[in-house]
Amino acid sequence: MTAVIETKNLSKWYGNILGLSDVSLQVEQGITGILGPNGAGKSTFLKLITGQIKPNIGRVTIKGKPIRNNYPLYRMIGFCPEQDSFYGELSGWEFLKNLLTLYHLAQAEAEDKAAKALDIVELTKDKNRIIKSYSRGMRQRLKVAQAIAHDPEILILDEPLNGLDPLGRRKIIKLIKSYEREGRTIIVSSHVLPEIEAMTQKIILIHQGKIFAEGNIHYIRDLIETHPHIISIKCNDPRAMAEKFIHEDFVLKVHFGTTLDSLLVETNNRDKFFALLPPLIVEHRIEVREITSPDDNLQAVFDYLVGK
Amino acid sequence: MNDKTKLGILGFFRSVRISFSFFLLLGRKSRRTKVFYIISFVPILMAVIIKLGQFFYGQTQITGLSIFSNMIMVFYLQFLILILALFFGTSICSEELEGKTLTYLTTRPVSKSALLLGKYAAYTLLTIIMTSIGLLIAFLILNVNNLLDFSLYKILFRDLAVLALGLICYSAFFTFIGTLLKKSILFGLVFSFGWENVIQYFPGSTQRFAIVHYLKSLLKVPTSGGFSFLLFRLEPTPPGVAILMLLVISGIFLFLACLLFSQKEYILQD
Repeated sequence: MTAVIETKNLSKWYGNILGLSDVSLQVEQGITGILGPNGAGKSTFLKLITGQIKPNIGRVTIKGKPIRNNYPLYRMIGFCPEQDSFYGELSGWEFLKNLLTLYHLAQAEAEDKAAKALDIVELTKDKNRIIKSYSRGMRQRLKVAQAIAHDPEILILDEPLNGLDPLGRRKIIKLIKSYEREGRTIIVSSHVLPEIEAMTQKIILIHQGKIFAEGNIHYIRDLIETHPHIISIKCNDPRAMAEKFIHEDFVLKVHFGTTLDSLLVETNNRDKFFALLPPLIVEHRIEVREITSPDDNLQAVFDYLVGK
Repeated sequence: MNDKTKLGILGFFRSVRISFSFFLLLGRKSRRTKVFYIISFVPILMAVIIKLGQFFYGQTQITGLSIFSNMIMVFYLQFLILILALFFGTSICSEELEGKTLTYLTTRPVSKSALLLGKYAAYTLLTIIMTSIGLLIAFLILNVNNLLDFSLYKILFRDLAVLALGLICYSAFFTFIGTLLKKSILFGLVFSFGWENVIQYFPGSTQRFAIVHYLKSLLKVPTSGGFSFLLFRLEPTPPGVAILMLLVISGIFLFLACLLFSQKEYILQD
């Protein structure tokens, strides 16, 4: 399969701050997930491949042509930015219709496409309300609408699921998958692994401006499985609970929190731990108030992997 | 000129027109426009007060036309068009950066120059409309006794044209400043109420470095009224040259603004 988007030795820095360093990769048709903690360089990468900023070193090509200031290529791209910013005084309808006219469409065609996009993201009912009065989820859907409205061949979505409720997330994921089936190229960035996992198997891991890993999602899943997890439990008798855990070989450390009712367990096998936990609670009649995983996020995984 | 070049030029002007329509709508709806409409209606209030004063305290020697000319000199030329051009001109670039909406424009198949020119045209038209409405109503109130004297309307249209030229020129300058500097308003205030207000009174050629010099050169000097001193140092430039200079200044600053906006990399702060 030929590459739709190609970058070679792409580097970008803002003054003394490194945004992206020596990124060379090829993005093919289908969904590609860009995964990385906040500040990893995901947005910089997406801005570079959409021609919004120019690289200090390296180059970006879309279908073999350089992107920067290549306006005809911009027709092929739909971009959903991360920031929650709009022309707040306009209505959703005015916003979308006027952005579509920037594609040199006739008024009727722009209106038709705006209506379709609003229908897809289920904002038709609220299209005449000013954007300022929209909820966060509605604004997020409007951002997606402006990216898809002109029917682009390439979709680049920066954290498209931010601020959406679970139902909204499911709908947008379904929409993105439907575009994949139509043969389009989609790049989706996120700092939340399950979000990307729900959309694609192809991922690019980015960390501190560098491509950390690239390939199938099972690879990162395996890395995560070996990552020791800390689980915090708040209960009425943390010492009794600690006594039960200490004999298990998958428990690496047990220590007590600053409050008298909390316990921190470090395990290298989360599945076994969570399989053991419910019967233990029932059997010993322990009153559990809260179970959380303070390091169950991408940043912790990256920290672990980099440290390793 | 070959067909490809012609199509390119036509496409560019079409992009400017599309951008103009978009930003005219946006400008009309913005809160800033509403605030400046109120400020531009201050002369109407002033005209009403003056007329009521004349009505209750008796007629004075000062004619409505004379008051109108002083109003143009003091309020419009030295304050209103500068403020309007400053706030609308600098916002052409800065509101996209501060509002983080630039992304929506720069990912579309429209050149940045066309976007900037379209927005400049839309905002300049808005400021001209704002100025004209207030000026027209104030003129009618001040000259309510001489409304059938058609020679007065010639003066009104000349003054309107001068103010429009002033807005075109100052807005072009402030558009450039807005693309160049982050703290463009501060610089603009120093320029408007420092440079422009001081340089115009310098003798000889120095006063020609102020835009207001060319605008004053196009106006008829008021023969009476308390503000005629504002012209005491004026060594007018011939009207044809003054118009040409204003258009050349506008063209140069718009060209520079387009060049800068196209080349400069604006980073939206998170």
